[in-house]
Amino acid sequence: MSAPPADRPPRLVPETSDPDTGGFFAAAAREELAVCACAACGAVLHPPRAYCAACGRWDTVWRTVSGRGRLYSWTTVEHQTHRAFPVPYTIVLVELDDAPGARLVGHLPGRPELEAGMPMRIWFEPVDDHGTLLPQWRPESTKAPVDGG
Amino acid sequence: MSAAGHRDRCAISGIGATRFSSNSGRSTLSLAVEASLAAIADAGLRPSDVDGVVRCDMDAVAHNDLAQALGLPDLSYWGSSGPGGAAPGGMIGQAVGAVLSGQATTVVAFRSLNGRSGARFGRSGAVGGGGGGGAGRRPRPAGGRGTYDEFFFPYGLVAPGQLFSLLARRHMIEFGTTEEQLGHIALACRARANANPAAQMADRPLTMEDYLSARMISSPLRLFDYCLETDGACAVVVTSAERAADGPQPPALIRAVAQSAGPEPQFGFLFPTLLRDSLTTQTSKAVADALYRRAGLGPGDVDVAQFYDCFTITVLLQLEDYGFCAKGEGGPFAAGGAIDKGGSLPINTSGGHLSEGYIHGLNHIVEGVRQIRGTSTSQVPGAEVCLVTSGLPVTTSALVLRRAS
Repeated sequence: MSAPPADRPPRLVPETSDPDTGGFFAAAAREELAVCACAACGAVLHPPRAYCAACGRWDTVWRTVSGRGRLYSWTTVEHQTHRAFPVPYTIVLVELDDAPGARLVGHLPGRPELEAGMPMRIWFEPVDDHGTLLPQWRPESTKAPVDGG
Repeated sequence: MSAAGHRDRCAISGIGATRFSSNSGRSTLSLAVEASLAAIADAGLRPSDVDGVVRCDMDAVAHNDLAQALGLPDLSYWGSSGPGGAAPGGMIGQAVGAVLSGQATTVVAFRSLNGRSGARFGRSGAVGGGGGGGAGRRPRPAGGRGTYDEFFFPYGLVAPGQLFSLLARRHMIEFGTTEEQLGHIALACRARANANPAAQMADRPLTMEDYLSARMISSPLRLFDYCLETDGACAVVVTSAERAADGPQPPALIRAVAQSAGPEPQFGFLFPTLLRDSLTTQTSKAVADALYRRAGLGPGDVDVAQFYDCFTITVLLQLEDYGFCAKGEGGPFAAGGAIDKGGSLPINTSGGHLSEGYIHGLNHIVEGVRQIRGTSTSQVPGAEVCLVTSGLPVTTSALVLRRAS
């Protein structure tokens, strides 16, 4: 994997060392999609947290999920706000097939043709030269970009 | 104390506002002082009568800043509410609580911002990633520290309008809502602003053709679905109903206030709310239920409403959540003329955030008081009950104002 070309604005990389959410990005660095879940009652705890309010336990695990989902909503951004994100680009909001209640967002370049409920697949995008991989979504009918798009 | 324990026991006795502009050239402290002095004078009081200050958590002006600048001799109560635009109803609630509990007699609630010339939403200063670019240098990562923004910012989801675009798209998916229906909300607010000389869009009419041909910002929301970024300040004076009755203005009784994080409270400032079960029923539903219960009133009793309108979709969601139409019917309701002058529920009679100015919900309270006094530039004849709402979607708040009988 390589850093983005020098002529592109620097990527906005996620904080990966937060005590509650770092496990998500540690899994992503292994090219796995994982959600935080309660080890006792099985409740999905996304966004990740250490305490399960459903059963009152402090015992969580990172559960690897399939990386399949359905498109819940999207927006194509045409007005530039942050320099790291040249327009147009599209933000997708995806519901995970095997983790009800968890939704994740993704970034697609341009103005792709999208449809509510369409199947989506995960892929992992390198966003820096420190091994950080960002889980990204693409329509199942399209190929994963090979070089971080 | 019953749910109606504060009903009609306090009032807004004074209102004040600065000029709304795109570049004030003044400090937020100066703007806050000007609006506060105007509100205090409007209430027939002097700064030395004020012993409480309530602010919005995003305001750069702290309670003690305002106290010193106004020369308050005995600031003995202060509070703040938020986040951001969700604050105003809660700020009035805090003022009411302070007055009824004997912690203060006269409270100024204010919001001051250089929202256009100063810090703006979505830029690198607010989001992170600024200052990078040197070889081998790692830009400041986004999120962490309990914000959960690491799940959103790295994807380019960085500005409130992008989140509301996702809500609008979802409303279209579930209910077939159209862009033109959203346009009717923009047009209604603009028409009220055209009657209000103080509105930033006072001289700028808007047609449906203008609306639909305006550039897309974040689909499906276009330029005129977005509110105005504004420099300015508003302030109100809250005191007991008895004291307000001695003032020079007809008191706007605070019939009820309510706040709610909803049945599914969410983390963070904004974006984690995309994880709520439903994106088309918002915290405003829970706040409406509490507010109507405390007020002993329902949507049918409301003569005029000032809906928080950071975006057109925000209004549409609230028309449904506050019970003025069924869930999913906000689009046809807005397009059918109900929200216009002369309709069953005139809204945002000063032009709202969309066309008067964006003072983070405080200008909605100021306009609500004008309706109760009968002094709005788009006065609803005989208005006795005005609903005023605050921002979504993390938490929200609202109040009902009533004319003293």
